[in-house]
Amino acid sequence: MGKTFSEKLLGAKADREVQAGDVVTVSPDFILSHDNSAAIIKKFQQIGVKKVRVPHKIVIVLDHVVPASSEKYALNHKIIREFVGEQKINNFFDISTGICHQVFSEKGFAMPGKLILGADSHTTSYGAFGAFSAGIGRSEVASLWATDEIWLKVPETLKIEMEGKLSNGVFAKDVILKIIGDQGADRANYKAVEFAGKAAQEFSIASRLVLSNMAAEMGAKNGYFPPDNKTTGYLKNRAQQPYEIVSSDSDANYESILRYDVSSVVPQVASPHTVDNVRPVAEVEGLKFHQALIGTCTNGRLEDLEAASRMLKGKKVDPSVRVLVIPASREVYLQAMRKGIMEVFSEAGCVILNPGCGPCLGAHQGILAPGEIALSTANRNFRGRMGSRDSEIYLASPATVAASAVEGKITDPRKYS
Amino acid sequence: MEKSMISGRIWVLTNNRGELIEDIDTDQIYHNAHLHITEISEMGQYALGNLKGWEDFSQKAQPGDILIGGRNFGAGSSRQQAVDCFLSLRLAAVIAPSFGAIYFRNAVNSALPVFKCPDLKEYVEKGKMESGDRIEVNYRTGEGTVVNKRFDFFVEPMSDVQEGILRAGGLFNYEKTLNTT
Repeated sequence: MGKTFSEKLLGAKADREVQAGDVVTVSPDFILSHDNSAAIIKKFQQIGVKKVRVPHKIVIVLDHVVPASSEKYALNHKIIREFVGEQKINNFFDISTGICHQVFSEKGFAMPGKLILGADSHTTSYGAFGAFSAGIGRSEVASLWATDEIWLKVPETLKIEMEGKLSNGVFAKDVILKIIGDQGADRANYKAVEFAGKAAQEFSIASRLVLSNMAAEMGAKNGYFPPDNKTTGYLKNRAQQPYEIVSSDSDANYESILRYDVSSVVPQVASPHTVDNVRPVAEVEGLKFHQALIGTCTNGRLEDLEAASRMLKGKKVDPSVRVLVIPASREVYLQAMRKGIMEVFSEAGCVILNPGCGPCLGAHQGILAPGEIALSTANRNFRGRMGSRDSEIYLASPATVAASAVEGKITDPRKYS
Repeated sequence: MEKSMISGRIWVLTNNRGELIEDIDTDQIYHNAHLHITEISEMGQYALGNLKGWEDFSQKAQPGDILIGGRNFGAGSSRQQAVDCFLSLRLAAVIAPSFGAIYFRNAVNSALPVFKCPDLKEYVEKGKMESGDRIEVNYRTGEGTVVNKRFDFFVEPMSDVQEGILRAGGLFNYEKTLNTT
């Protein structure tokens, strides 16, 4: 019997044959954390070790509340800056660079065949590059800083075979919302996901990141895409290290194989308060909302901003709606600016915010009041996530969010494409 | 024989229709407004503060109480405060049919006993487990009893790693024991 990607990669790291269900002790290639590094530092100091074991494996990106919105966040950032200085952690990206998952990718840390662990649930994103990347907790990161070792259970794998071609006005976001809606928010708990099939290879790197990012919303440990020319092309002049592609065997043992024809997918919307509460846009069309968010680690890349700007070019957002645009990184910001996309947003009446997580997790920059509704390109619509527990969040693609912002109510973007 | 029992009074997280609440995510367990807090002792007051009908849980809970939740408990963010807030209240365990994967790991590593109990929903529906009942769970065999109702149930027994970390009092201490043997 052949092996899945996860069995092969974790086996290679553990230096023995493994199969799903085995527990391995492994050493990761990179360890990511963000503003929560302040809490991790506190845990690390409890361990009683003076120095981090391998400074160059540690990557810290400040993105959650940037610039600091209060004295407490400012103090947390200060503690982190002092720590990275003392510990000689060179892979530190301060508040000007962007959202950790985008920065980590752009700076070439996300590579095929690497084991990446991060103190953020959307660390699954790097599966888009063929890495095994999973979110872990704060104590585990502190422990990794100290010991460079961690226990992991080799997950079973769910394979998602995608065929067909997307219709106009339908995007990667619609595909992953459709899958999560069908399968449920816990379908892949403790499991790895492999995206496969011709349609998977058709997706751009940016689109693959959407699916891998949101694999976390099915409970997945990882969301792997087989690396190809697009992967190696993206990594040219970016890769931090040499890398080797790890692929599944054709006779690997899967927990299940799910098949999707993406040509039949229509624009999707996830309604409050769970990500699997998904229906076609037609069923929520006409719903009025107060705030739109275009950005986040899910949908803040250039192709997302381009799709949104096509809906907004030469138009104005409805006066009843506030539209927040947040490029995922400074690199994306610059690209969008040079292409004139930022001008389109500003002329349409959008508020352009600095790269970061912004209001996605309800910490600052556009908190919702009781009774307010947001339509967002983010990955989560949990109750109260963007502010008041009596507010609501709907999730959709950048095209759907932008088209809806023009009308002031949820609408199908296909009529504009 | 070392102690391998956990016992306590239970809180069954039900909605206003008496159904076990599913998909209780980390934002409902520990709201993002309190994420800047790094002291565990300060976290307990916010436990379940964003879960409808359970906002006052931290005032009601006593040390040693056990939480009973629905399917996919702790879905979402990797925030460890969602585990730490229960440690802060000194809860004895959390039992649910299934957990968010990162949540489960965080709980194991923090020595908060967590048990998967696949048939939990049925027990609650049939009134075999209600808030205020007292239960006992043997974490090695997975045998449980609702003491005041003399009702027996099963949870998945702890893995060796989970038990080892629990006995050591957390991942950091566990690693120390590994390094000295």
